[in-house]
Amino acid sequence: MMESAWLIPLFPLVSFLFLLLFGKRLKEAGSSYMGMVFTFASFVWSVFTLLDRFQAPTYKSEVSWLTIGDVQLTAGIEINQLNALMLVVVSLVSLLIHIYSKGYMQGDERLPIYYAYLGFFTFAMLGLVMAPNLLQLYFFWELVGAGSFLLIGFYFYKEEAKRAAKKAFIMTRIGDVGLLIGIILLFWQVGSFEYDKIFQAVQSGSISAEMITLTAILIFVGAVGKSGQFPLHTWLPDAMEGPTPVSALIHAATMVAAGVYLVAAMFPLFSASETAMTVVAVTGGFTAIFAASIGLVQKDIKRVLAYSTVSQLGYMMLALGSAGYVAGIFHLMTHAFFKALLFLAAGSVIHAVHTQDLEQMGGLWKKLKITGPLFLIGTLAISGVPLLSGFFSKDEILTAAWEHGNHGLFWVALIAAFFTAFYMFRLFFMVFTGESRSQQTKVHEAPAVMTLPMVILGILAILSGYVNTPWFGTFLGDWLTEGNEYLAATGHMEAPGWIMIAATAVSLAGMLLAYLIYGNRRISREGLSGANSTVYTVLYNKYFIDETYQFSIVALTRWISLFLSYVDRFIVGGLISAVTATVQSLGKIGSRLQSGQVQLYGTIAFFGLAVLMAIFALTGGYFG
Amino acid sequence: MNTILLTLLVFSPLLGMLLMFLVPKTDEKNLKMLGFLSTVPALLISLYLYIQYATGTDLSRFSIKVDWFRFGNLKSYDPNLFAVDYELAVDGFSLIMVLLTSILATLAAIASMYIKKEWKGYFMLFLLLEIGMLGVFTAQNLILFFIFFEITLIPMFFLIGKWGYLEKEKAAYSFLIYNGLSSAILLIVIMILFARTGTSNIEALRHIMTVGGVSLFAPISDPMKYALLIALLAAFGIKLPIFPFHTWMLRVHVQAPPSIVMIHAGVLLKIGAFGLIRFGMGIFPEQFRDIAFIIAVLGVINLLYGAFLALIQTDFKMVLAYSSISHMGIVLIGLGALNEAGIQGAIFQVVSHGLIAALLFFLVGVMHERFGTSKINDLGGLAKILPVTSGFLLAGAMASLGLPGMSGFVSEFMAFLGLFKEEPVLAAVGALGIILTAVYLLRAVLGMTFGKTKSMSFEGISEIKGIEFAPVLVLLGLIVGIGVYPAILSEPLQATLEAIMLGIGG
Repeated sequence: MMESAWLIPLFPLVSFLFLLLFGKRLKEAGSSYMGMVFTFASFVWSVFTLLDRFQAPTYKSEVSWLTIGDVQLTAGIEINQLNALMLVVVSLVSLLIHIYSKGYMQGDERLPIYYAYLGFFTFAMLGLVMAPNLLQLYFFWELVGAGSFLLIGFYFYKEEAKRAAKKAFIMTRIGDVGLLIGIILLFWQVGSFEYDKIFQAVQSGSISAEMITLTAILIFVGAVGKSGQFPLHTWLPDAMEGPTPVSALIHAATMVAAGVYLVAAMFPLFSASETAMTVVAVTGGFTAIFAASIGLVQKDIKRVLAYSTVSQLGYMMLALGSAGYVAGIFHLMTHAFFKALLFLAAGSVIHAVHTQDLEQMGGLWKKLKITGPLFLIGTLAISGVPLLSGFFSKDEILTAAWEHGNHGLFWVALIAAFFTAFYMFRLFFMVFTGESRSQQTKVHEAPAVMTLPMVILGILAILSGYVNTPWFGTFLGDWLTEGNEYLAATGHMEAPGWIMIAATAVSLAGMLLAYLIYGNRRISREGLSGANSTVYTVLYNKYFIDETYQFSIVALTRWISLFLSYVDRFIVGGLISAVTATVQSLGKIGSRLQSGQVQLYGTIAFFGLAVLMAIFALTGGYFG
Repeated sequence: MNTILLTLLVFSPLLGMLLMFLVPKTDEKNLKMLGFLSTVPALLISLYLYIQYATGTDLSRFSIKVDWFRFGNLKSYDPNLFAVDYELAVDGFSLIMVLLTSILATLAAIASMYIKKEWKGYFMLFLLLEIGMLGVFTAQNLILFFIFFEITLIPMFFLIGKWGYLEKEKAAYSFLIYNGLSSAILLIVIMILFARTGTSNIEALRHIMTVGGVSLFAPISDPMKYALLIALLAAFGIKLPIFPFHTWMLRVHVQAPPSIVMIHAGVLLKIGAFGLIRFGMGIFPEQFRDIAFIIAVLGVINLLYGAFLALIQTDFKMVLAYSSISHMGIVLIGLGALNEAGIQGAIFQVVSHGLIAALLFFLVGVMHERFGTSKINDLGGLAKILPVTSGFLLAGAMASLGLPGMSGFVSEFMAFLGLFKEEPVLAAVGALGIILTAVYLLRAVLGMTFGKTKSMSFEGISEIKGIEFAPVLVLLGLIVGIGVYPAILSEPLQATLEAIMLGIGG
């Protein structure tokens, strides 16, 4: 199957093209089934590819793409452990979202376009994880961004959606330029975009240490943009303007994880530079606690989840920066499942009450009998409650941070875990317990087409942690690092037992606090929002980061533009007026000479001849 | 070795011009049809040439060289001295330019359906313009090149001045003055070269300048070489345009009818790049190497200057005009890098921008026809009423901002790849342009298509339809084709690139 793995991204591409051309004729049902069938094909192919990869070694195949001088650039596919795993995760979540969307997006007249965009995104994402070289990765990296842009802007007639789409594209592009520069610099060091060649060059020491650090950090800038890490995170919460299933697929499970994937795929480069690793770990750790603190006070259900995503991605970066290669990827996988579940469950809530405002929800536990428990499963998983998937992966990350010696970051991550449990249960209690504050009287559970994907994700959110546990075996870790000389020291580490206990304790403490405030209301909510009003305002306004950018970078850019427009008008324009004026006055002088007096003409002709003769005499006929 | 195929190619629009005389000048439909058909033979011949090339035929087979006229009476001394021949030929590079020209001419002829008056005169001039462009890319000596170069000016002047928008006369004069200046400088350079070497043949000049060993009629000193190269840079810099010689092209972009801007942005600006590569780099490679850094700096200035100004324009046509300046900066960046990646990137950008600019300006035409405006603030929410047109517009913008899978990415990438090898710091500054390009294009295109529909009077305006699809689909197809499989463009270029690199000695 691995030889034909190149078909995997082509299925959704065909679906995209077909729906774009004939979507209108297919109508609603036709186009959704079209999308589902093709994604299903990708999923099945991915599963077989993964099974194949268990037995066979890494497969790689390339064809020539472009010649530049003596260098042949190639395009192709590579199926290694990481890629094979990512293929299954991406195609599975995408398939589930395709199914879910049939219920959620029902009645939207642009459904064929929606499914077309979903197909395009899936194509790009699958292409991204199969790329055998950095140039091809960048190629799909940008396409993924374009797919995300289209889907965020799906409700194009809303001003917010327009702004959010534009912002997402531009903010990620800032990161992408860093990535592009990093790739190009590496190319001139190594003479190739291929991963293997780059890693060989890194290992053989043919690249200077400074260059390794520089390129690694530049590549990380790309990951920062895509994975919504501080300071380029501001687009991700705004991206929630897209349809909720899209948020689940792109802005929770797959695309935003691409940054983490990139760092993981380039891990041998990063691990060769201590500085770069520290940058990754610190950025990740800071983002984890920074975003979690914002998530504490947001009032929009999707925004809380968005900040939670930013925070969890920070966790993954922290893991990678602490040499926890397996921990990072493990959390990427479990997070994909439970965060997709949370978004879909949130979508189901929004579908039922037609609002995203937490203040207008409440008491939905009895009315949403399937969504409620599923949401709880997701909440427990992300909070790191024992026995669910998030518990194991978060534990791996904390262990990695501790073992790598990043003790400061370890404590930061632990506090962030407390925040996570708190804001997630705050969300849960506000939505599902208490009295109904909704205007909506008729609240229905979602149809089966929506609950089925949630149930599958719910099962995965519980069970997917067991592929890598300290108790039953670290299958995932062993497999991921098997036969990979660069990752020898990054597998599972023996954790001190107290880390697991501490992690459990903080998550339970977070739950308890949330329960006391939002569950049985022993503690007044005013205590949080009222008393520390400055803190609350700062958090609620997301540390005023957007405003800061508005007044610094955006304002500066505008100022430069205006300045240059004056340059254009007055200096360049003035120069031209000066030239025309000179020519005109020369012309006037010339016309004054046309006086009709033959004597004057004769004098000028004679004078001219004299000058020419003088030149001839001095130069022998030619200048220079 | 003499075949008439290239002559047929260059002068085939003449047939249409003659036939035009037979059609009454009020017969709009037939004039437009004839205008379109007259561009087809050139397209077919250039496609035939490309296929011949792709299947392994040596392009030199198609060269033609006939005695034309000579200066002085030196025939017995040396038959080639001061002789000006009629000589046309194509190599990979000029073949691509010819193909670009003939494709865009045909598509612009379709876009000429929006022309409202005096179709006969319009198409006569249009076809004459095509002859000039095709001649420029195939001429093998500087004098012939210059004649064709001038042939493009005159029809352009009238096409802008007569069929343009409100301030068309001003734009036409501005065009004429600047391009006249550029021609004058070019003529001086050509005459100096001709007078001192006795030949205007490009290959011969290349040989004399780079290999040497030929006793010249009068020697050319090194300072003179630099002076000539800088004069060439100025002449073609006006054409390209290089900051600060760009104001004329802004006016042309805004005032000329969209079909003419397709040609102007798509082909005429590219003559500047073609000239810089063919003559600047080809004839004065050593001197070019010395000023390469300056060219790269000029490129970065163009790129950023155009991008910053495009950011605050209120008219979509102005956004595209500044965007052209910005994108020509990438050509200069590639040339300034002066390595395989850079030069190949520059040539790719020439083709790619030609296609993308033509696509976007055709869409401007489509919208102008329907709304009578291209002001961003007057439009808005167009995706609701014209979803397909808006989709194309967005696709055009994505191509222009260098989305992978479209031609703009390949060219931008290669140009930067080249410059990063030579001048990483300068290239990093230039890379800011990549971000700015996304900002100004999305601002403009989303401003027109996303958000609330601005005016109720837009209801009932018809979607892009019928023949209007042809230019859009052809251009998008080519843009994506090059973006996905750039070898279709890079293969024919290899021989030319090798020759250039040999001259530079890199």
